Amino acid sequence: MRQLGFYFDQSRCIGCYTCSVACKDWHDIDAEPVNWRQVKIIERGTFPTPFVAYLSISCNHCENPPCIRVCPEKAISKRDTDGIVVVDQKKCLGNEACEMHCLKACPWNCPQFSIESNAKMQKCNFCVDRLEQGQNPICVEACPMYALDFGPLDELMEKYGNTVEAEGFEYKDKFKPSIIFKPKT
Amino acid sequence: MSDKNSDPNSENIKIVNTGCCHDCGGRCVLRAHVKNGKIIRFETDNSEETTLRACARGRAYRQRVYSDLRLKYPLRRIGERGDGEFEQISWDDALDEVASKLIEVKEKYGNASILLMAGSGNQGMLHGIVPVALMLHQFGGYTRFWGAPSYEGALFASMATYGTIKTGNAREDLLNTKLIIMWGWNPANLIWDPETRLMLAKAREKDIKIIAIDPIYTDSAAIFAHQWIPIRPGTDAAMLIAMAYVIITENLQDQAFIDKYTVGFDKYKEYVLGLEDGLPKTPEWAEKITKVPAETITNLAREYATTKPAALIVGWGAARTAMGEQYSRAGNVLTAITGNIGIKGGYAAGFMRAYSSRETIMSRQKKKKKEGSIVEKEQPSKPRAQDNPVDFGAPPRKYSLYKLRGGTNPASTRVHINDLYNLILKGCDGGYPADIKMAYVVATNRLNQYCNTNKGVEALKALDFIVVHEQFMTPTAKFADIILPVNTFMERNDVAVPWLGSPYYIYLNKAIDSLFDTKSDLEICQELCKRLELPGDLLNLPEDQILRLLTAPRRDIKSYNKMKKDGFYKVKVAEPFIAFREQIEDPDNHPFPTLSGKIEIYCEHMAELNHPLMPPIPKYFSHNEHYDSPKAENYPLQLLTPHNKRRTHSSLHHMPWLEEIEPHAVWISSVDASQRGIKNRDLVDVYNDRGRIRIPAKVTERIIPGAVCVYQGAWFNPDKDGVDIGGCANTLTNDSYSPGGALPMNSALVQVELSPKTQMEES
Repeated sequence: MRQLGFYFDQSRCIGCYTCSVACKDWHDIDAEPVNWRQVKIIERGTFPTPFVAYLSISCNHCENPPCIRVCPEKAISKRDTDGIVVVDQKKCLGNEACEMHCLKACPWNCPQFSIESNAKMQKCNFCVDRLEQGQNPICVEACPMYALDFGPLDELMEKYGNTVEAEGFEYKDKFKPSIIFKPKT
Repeated sequence: MSDKNSDPNSENIKIVNTGCCHDCGGRCVLRAHVKNGKIIRFETDNSEETTLRACARGRAYRQRVYSDLRLKYPLRRIGERGDGEFEQISWDDALDEVASKLIEVKEKYGNASILLMAGSGNQGMLHGIVPVALMLHQFGGYTRFWGAPSYEGALFASMATYGTIKTGNAREDLLNTKLIIMWGWNPANLIWDPETRLMLAKAREKDIKIIAIDPIYTDSAAIFAHQWIPIRPGTDAAMLIAMAYVIITENLQDQAFIDKYTVGFDKYKEYVLGLEDGLPKTPEWAEKITKVPAETITNLAREYATTKPAALIVGWGAARTAMGEQYSRAGNVLTAITGNIGIKGGYAAGFMRAYSSRETIMSRQKKKKKEGSIVEKEQPSKPRAQDNPVDFGAPPRKYSLYKLRGGTNPASTRVHINDLYNLILKGCDGGYPADIKMAYVVATNRLNQYCNTNKGVEALKALDFIVVHEQFMTPTAKFADIILPVNTFMERNDVAVPWLGSPYYIYLNKAIDSLFDTKSDLEICQELCKRLELPGDLLNLPEDQILRLLTAPRRDIKSYNKMKKDGFYKVKVAEPFIAFREQIEDPDNHPFPTLSGKIEIYCEHMAELNHPLMPPIPKYFSHNEHYDSPKAENYPLQLLTPHNKRRTHSSLHHMPWLEEIEPHAVWISSVDASQRGIKNRDLVDVYNDRGRIRIPAKVTERIIPGAVCVYQGAWFNPDKDGVDIGGCANTLTNDSYSPGGALPMNSALVQVELSPKTQMEES
């Protein structure tokens, strides 16, 4: 298996939310609360020296995904070929029947639930439909700043280094999220 | 991962190359995936040279096209004007009524009683204002206005200093500079040509120093800049003049450049040094006005003057103020005295247009004359299709730079765009050129997007008849007598021209048929022409044929068919444009297009206007709504009303994907908030004598104390007490204008307090 991962250049991200909106458009997802790709703003410091950064992350398709371990129905699995973490909604019990173990286990709140009653878990599937056609994930192709990239994790590390943390993102060694960063400094 | 043109799940999906062309600083590529006559999703520019990627606004477009809030059929007012009560009527009835009203007003009161309120809601060559203006020209004309809300101060200053608006360098030239100063300029949110943001990121990656001067720590300041210099709103000219003081007293100016290419430096020097008025414009003087420490001003002046080349980008935001052109002029002059003009990596500031095929047409005409010389504008003997008969041939407007050509305002036009409410309410008796009886409103949410919305309500109520072309029930459309529902970009063909700096076109191919019972602006005008017994001429042709004719004079489009097929056309440019390169490299054969042929630090044309607030050299002025004016006693906070990232002006306001990006709020510094007992997300009132809005507060460290910020474009929505709970910024702004024509969107004084509801909850 060659694990796929994302690269995010936080130093370039202007917080335009294009990645997130393009994702919703492509996958036909309504407005809040479901965000397969989330953009978070980090604001701290005091006038006149505030600090502002944005963090754009989707599911990190961990090497050891905590969501898989806790799912009572084994609805979440990891693809053998590329390590993409996918959810089988037919098996998912839904957020009322189940206590959303997956969401609680994920340090980055990637599993998402809509406002429908007993909503099934959904999350970034790496645009497998597009990958199969030889296309880039929609978020990567949308970013006007070219701040997102993807590919086999080892290749990304060769290309961009192996920084695994950024403003607003804490690396968890036990899960090994498949994402590397250029953090904002 | 390279196959860019096939589509996943491509069965029965047709990809239509189109685009997004509302009035932001971009025109971007959208590739619509259409299945069974419905757009199911979009992609964007993924061609080799990828610069035209749409932002979130464009990517959310599906929610606009298929919004439940779309106007679906013609409407006639049944309640009181402005109440928003309408009945459905047929197109025939609606068009008959509009036509008969036009004829009635024309016969009874004359064409000048028709006011064309047109805006920039559509940026295509064909739809929006274009067919309506052409139709009304044939009908005998209308009263029109001058002035553009975005940039009038910058435009005036550009013409006064350089005699042209083509003063910007190509965006990629930002990589050739050593220092970028972003003054009142936030391209991260505004786009400012699609590749600008990326160029700034690349400049930063190249270790080019970037400094932001702005009352707000904008996304551009936060992401691109190494240093943020917060400044008190409306005082930018003072800081620029103090920088000139440092440069002059430390002899850091480029004297050889000044001697060769400029006029009037000595007169400016007299003002700056205080020889003219006894007040030296020292950094200490400016510190008191701007709140920027004198040391910071001195250091910036030294850094700018001794780093060459350096790009001082004099953004338009700080020029949307009561004395806006003075700031722009002071910025332009600073680029001149440091010799940063006409060179790679420099920047002349000015209006900052770097590419426009409009000018490729003009420059061919100009070359027949002696290059760069000023020619008296030749007037045709009778109005042409593009001329408005009502003001055709009128003498130039007082206080316009009428001797210069190349701006965007016809000097014959009498009424300023921000003065329309007075025009309507006061008419000829009040000294205005017409008594307005009806308004023809197209591609504008006028009430929302121009200053003093409550006065606008009064004015619109005073009219006999209002017809509105609209896609949504905007605050302006609510005041219509007849609403004609128009289709969106996706439902018609159009061509979008480049904005300021990028050499490309977008062809907006029609992706789907018109939804509901809507028509295009062109179709409406075709129908009205029949009823008004007008020839129609160009308007009678099919869309594509008109577009071929309209684009024909633009010689930079080598293949219309390729543009149409691809949905965009990127013009190959020999080398990145540097404004005034010819004037600097070969001044004998290339004078500046000013009256003197040089850069006018001192503008003789302005001197002739003889207006105390339009001095021939840039000066700093206070005004009656400034921080130091008597009004500040009751309203001590300065309001800023910039653009945000989730709308284009007031367009796209109700798209759910965009609404969730950034909740509407008034930005207030923690210092000002704590003095008022305001906590983050508290509901607060922002108010002055003109109105009151009620929105949540965002308590932040990202704004200079003393200033508050309400992003413009949220929809005016008065409750029964007249409190605007929609939070429209212009409920608070002043419908005046600067001597040069700038709209004072960033010059309103306000007070902020906890809303009565929040006060009750807390007690």
